[in-house]
Amino acid sequence: MAYDIQTWIKVAAFTGAGLAMGLGAIGAAVGEGYTAAQANAAISRNTKATGEIFKSMLVGQAIAESASIFALVIAMILLFSNFTATSYVTVAAVFAAGLAMGFGAVGSGVGSGFPAGAACTGMARQPAMGGRLTTNMLIGSAVCQTPSIFALVTAFILLFSDFSMRPVSPTWAALLGAGFASGLGAIGSGIGGGVVAQNSCEGIARQPSAVTPVTNIMLLGQAVTQTPAILGLLVSFILIFKSFEPTNSLAPSMALLASGLCIGIGAIGPGIGEGIASSGGVKWVARNEAHVGDITRLMLVGMAVAESTAIYSLVIALVLVFVV
Amino acid sequence: MDELGKVYQLIVPCFGHNMTFNLDAIAMTWIVFGVLIVFGFFATRNKSLLPGPVQVLGELFVSQLYGLTEDALDKEKAEKYAPLVCALFMFLLMSNWIGMIPHMHEPTKDLNTPLSLGLMGFVIAHYAGIKSKGFKAYVKEYFEPIFFMMPLNVIGELAKIVSISFRLFGNIMGGSIIILVVSYLTFSVLLPPFLNAFFVIFVGAIQAFVFTMLTVVYISVQVK
Amino acid sequence: MAIEGTDIVQAAAFLGAGLSMGLGAIGPGIGEGMAAAKACEAIGKNPKEAGLLTRTMLVGQAVSESTGIYSLVIALLLLFVV
Repeated sequence: MAYDIQTWIKVAAFTGAGLAMGLGAIGAAVGEGYTAAQANAAISRNTKATGEIFKSMLVGQAIAESASIFALVIAMILLFSNFTATSYVTVAAVFAAGLAMGFGAVGSGVGSGFPAGAACTGMARQPAMGGRLTTNMLIGSAVCQTPSIFALVTAFILLFSDFSMRPVSPTWAALLGAGFASGLGAIGSGIGGGVVAQNSCEGIARQPSAVTPVTNIMLLGQAVTQTPAILGLLVSFILIFKSFEPTNSLAPSMALLASGLCIGIGAIGPGIGEGIASSGGVKWVARNEAHVGDITRLMLVGMAVAESTAIYSLVIALVLVFVV
Repeated sequence: MDELGKVYQLIVPCFGHNMTFNLDAIAMTWIVFGVLIVFGFFATRNKSLLPGPVQVLGELFVSQLYGLTEDALDKEKAEKYAPLVCALFMFLLMSNWIGMIPHMHEPTKDLNTPLSLGLMGFVIAHYAGIKSKGFKAYVKEYFEPIFFMMPLNVIGELAKIVSISFRLFGNIMGGSIIILVVSYLTFSVLLPPFLNAFFVIFVGAIQAFVFTMLTVVYISVQVK
Repeated sequence: MAIEGTDIVQAAAFLGAGLSMGLGAIGPGIGEGMAAAKACEAIGKNPKEAGLLTRTMLVGQAVSESTGIYSLVIALLLLFVV
């Protein structure tokens, strides 16, 4: 196919931009809708607290929006920049950037909606804790955004690095795999982090005296829940920055693409599962402050076991990159 | 539609590298400063017990933002940081709303403004953390709960700067591009005012509030 | 089949526009549906506040719509401008 590189880059850029914004809009809208739903139920329960609840709903929705804003930024860059390139590798890089940000925004958008909804419900139950609930919601939602930041960083690296020194094949597959790894890997951690923050807001509303242990356990749980997304980012960096030998056969390229898919899809389940585990820990620390140590220990052990399939995916991904 | 890509820049060569100044953002920031200084002057000119309208507005901002800061920090620390919070919120609100006036661009449309404000908040928060906890305890916190979580904690801190800056930048820039594109496509008189109302007024106010609240929360997390 | 360079670029632009709006319609649909369902439940529990609850639902749905608007704008940009 004898089109010049600029044509192919435009093809990849437009398709990538469409994918980025299309996928990126899913998560944020679902999260914001969930928040609106919970806010509505909360207002019906306690009409006097309407002002506070409404304000929290708007703030929570604004934070949940941010993941899709990152996707909008990437889509705008893809549509309007001129990528001067001398190699076909940039075609794959541009498309992979769109993929990475598109998938990466899904999880964080949905996840950030959960704590905002729980904060609204909590305010209906316990209007006096309004300020503390808002603070907790902000901390939880903001940490929940971290996986989509990883995807944004990957997308920027893919867009703005110079790949002209690399051989076309198999680097095209490596870059596509990097996009999948970082993008898909952020879905599970985003949703999981949101579930943790949701239960922490609910716990604080239920038991205002337990604010400090609940917040600490929430931060701990969210930090560990981010691990699958970090594994995805790690594989994606390996795929971007490792230099591969040029090859004409399809198998090495498919190995690299498969490695990205492997860790990407493999990080979804453990992310959500660790989030659920940690949310159980947070929920019961709120109800049973005296046994914080036992609950925390069990929660960490359980999360480590839930991580195991992500570790298996990481091992297979690394085998696909380095051994095969 | 050609205005989409144009950025007026002043490039000053300095020791072999080029310093570029984005003139749009700089001029608009000075205009926002001017507006805020004039507002502050008129609000505090004749402080009386029965306030005039400008003074009422000023008191409204200050009392609400002091209340917000006290919610997140304790009382004496809140007194120290509340002026910063007020200034940040009023600057962001005015700079997001100045886009309503024709031919004015929001200074937050350029990535430099939100990024520098985010870095400023980060530096203030971490300096406050080091000063209140001491350097050893501050560094030790990065190694909680298990020592090999250190790189993850560092990445998490850096991700906070990126997320608040890009959230503000993306919302404002995205909103202004959408208004430009939709107005270009529809040639209508009816649609752009509603778009402006939503994207500039509503989203601008909420994003200014969210940026300010997140900065306060980050300071409170470090200080407590 | 000799496809022109500009032709394939336009083809990709159309594909991107379709993907953008198609996928972008999923989220607001689900989210606004959840908001409406809970609003019905809320009015069922507290019919006196119907006006306030309806207003809150509409505001929440409008904010949830905004990501759909971004997808729409990207799709329009891909169709008509680039």
